[in-house]
Amino acid sequence: MKRAGLTLADFLTYAALSLAIVVFLAPVVWMLITAVKPPDEWLTTPPVLIPSELHWANFTDALITWGGAKGLRDSLIVASLSTALSLVFGVPAAYALGRFKTGGENLSFTVLSILFMPPVAVAIPMYLFWSALGLLDSYTALILQYTVFNLPFIAWVLKSFFEDIPREMEESALVNGATRWRAFWEIAVPLARPAILAVGLLAFIFSWNEFFFALILTRANVTTLPFILPVLMEGHDILWGDIAAIATLGALPVVILAFALQKYLVRGLSFGTVRE
Amino acid sequence: MTSASFSIPAVPRRGDASRRFGWLMVAPCLAMLAANSIFPLIYVMTVAFQNYQILIPAPHRFVGLRNFEKAFSDPLFWSSLGVTCWFIAGVVLLQFPVGFGLAVLLNRLRRHQEALATALLVPTIISTSVAAFQWVQLFNYQFGPLNYLLGLMHLPQPTWTANPALALPCLIFVDFWQWTPFMTLLMFAGLRSLPRTIVDAARVDGSTGWQVVWRIYLPLLKPVIGIAIILRILMAFKLFDIIYVLTNGGPGTATENLAFFTYVQGFVYFNMGYAAALSLLQLIVVIILAKALISLTGRAGAVAAKE
Repeated sequence: MKRAGLTLADFLTYAALSLAIVVFLAPVVWMLITAVKPPDEWLTTPPVLIPSELHWANFTDALITWGGAKGLRDSLIVASLSTALSLVFGVPAAYALGRFKTGGENLSFTVLSILFMPPVAVAIPMYLFWSALGLLDSYTALILQYTVFNLPFIAWVLKSFFEDIPREMEESALVNGATRWRAFWEIAVPLARPAILAVGLLAFIFSWNEFFFALILTRANVTTLPFILPVLMEGHDILWGDIAAIATLGALPVVILAFALQKYLVRGLSFGTVRE
Repeated sequence: MTSASFSIPAVPRRGDASRRFGWLMVAPCLAMLAANSIFPLIYVMTVAFQNYQILIPAPHRFVGLRNFEKAFSDPLFWSSLGVTCWFIAGVVLLQFPVGFGLAVLLNRLRRHQEALATALLVPTIISTSVAAFQWVQLFNYQFGPLNYLLGLMHLPQPTWTANPALALPCLIFVDFWQWTPFMTLLMFAGLRSLPRTIVDAARVDGSTGWQVVWRIYLPLLKPVIGIAIILRILMAFKLFDIIYVLTNGGPGTATENLAFFTYVQGFVYFNMGYAAALSLLQLIVVIILAKALISLTGRAGAVAAKE
């Protein structure tokens, strides 16, 4: 490595990464700007880059008039409950797949195939399924639907974590008379806590963001944020600032979570396929 | 997977009990998955061979392969398949090279790697609804900042997603914007898992930066690259949300991919049999791709185990 402070290669690295940050974050920043623009600056030529004042009323309008508060609440209910359920069912399954090779390669493969099932292919039968149970437009249907989407992801990613944990500690506990459940619950689960946090985070983000099944399974009773946004974007008199405020409220929680838990994001997002 | 074949269970007498315990732990999860996969699968496999349409009263007749024949002679099926292929081409030809390049650059940084990677990931982790709103704003013909900048440079100001020739490239770009950071993340994780000694040795031998990338990073990361590309192809194959929100398949059918075409047949025209046949075709493709992914993952695990 050269000793001179900044080589040409270093300079190019910084330049290219800065350009990438601009390209990938500009749309996000533009949304944030619109969210605080007063109404007469929403549609202007040239577009207003720096709002003349911080118009927080967009957020109160978004929350109260346009159902943002209910959207936030519904998104939170659906995302947190489905994440919790997914972990309750998914963590033991992942442990069994990783530790005991339950069902062998075939079961793992089936789980992976379900993970990538095109939503469109299951949409009609699932619509008929929930409608037969009288659960269309209910929290139950959406929570359970997201849970079954999260399960194969959690099982698949956590399986590789459990495979990587040395089995000696659990085995010595078994030799000392612990039950298999205690070996799992008191030894394996604490060791896998970072991984469980990672998949839990991603399950939450998925459920918080999901659009397609919210579109098909819900109407007026359950209105998550991703579901109400496109509805507000229809028509001619689009209230740009108010919608930007709702969109910001929809983006903020996942962005904050991602930054707070960034260490866990990488391995969780890589679907357990990349082992560090 | 490789480690399993060599390890000897410490308590062999308990093998049966382990098996039973394993199944007990998987059972609740499998029951949940079965509800969501077996029922749809049975539905799709039955209806795909029936003349099931909302307008034709029950009972629906078994029509053999007629729904599949209809697909293969339907120009809209082929054009939607073409659109799907364009999205996949975008993954392989744009998202992979740019994602890989950014990962190499990120790996050169000495500080703030994770913070920067997370910042780049914002488009990936926000909801497609939110992302779509951002692009509706940017693509706005009259008041959007993109056309304003083009106007300043005296360039033509296109109508973007409303233009039949530009709509698909626009969506491919939005997909690029949403998922290239994810590609970067996978490659970056792979780069970090490479033993430093190999790179350092190459440096001592006088290799330049380009040679390190071509002769060390690319060959060693082959399994990770394969996984990342198949993973993204699987995701691009089922792409729906961004099309629905930004163009609704239009103008005309210019941006209808296979998933969207299936949705239109099922939920707009209520051609249940046809939609089911289309679904079945997609399931077969997904199963083949998933098989490829799982065999690559096995090999990647083997690479990691060797270190």
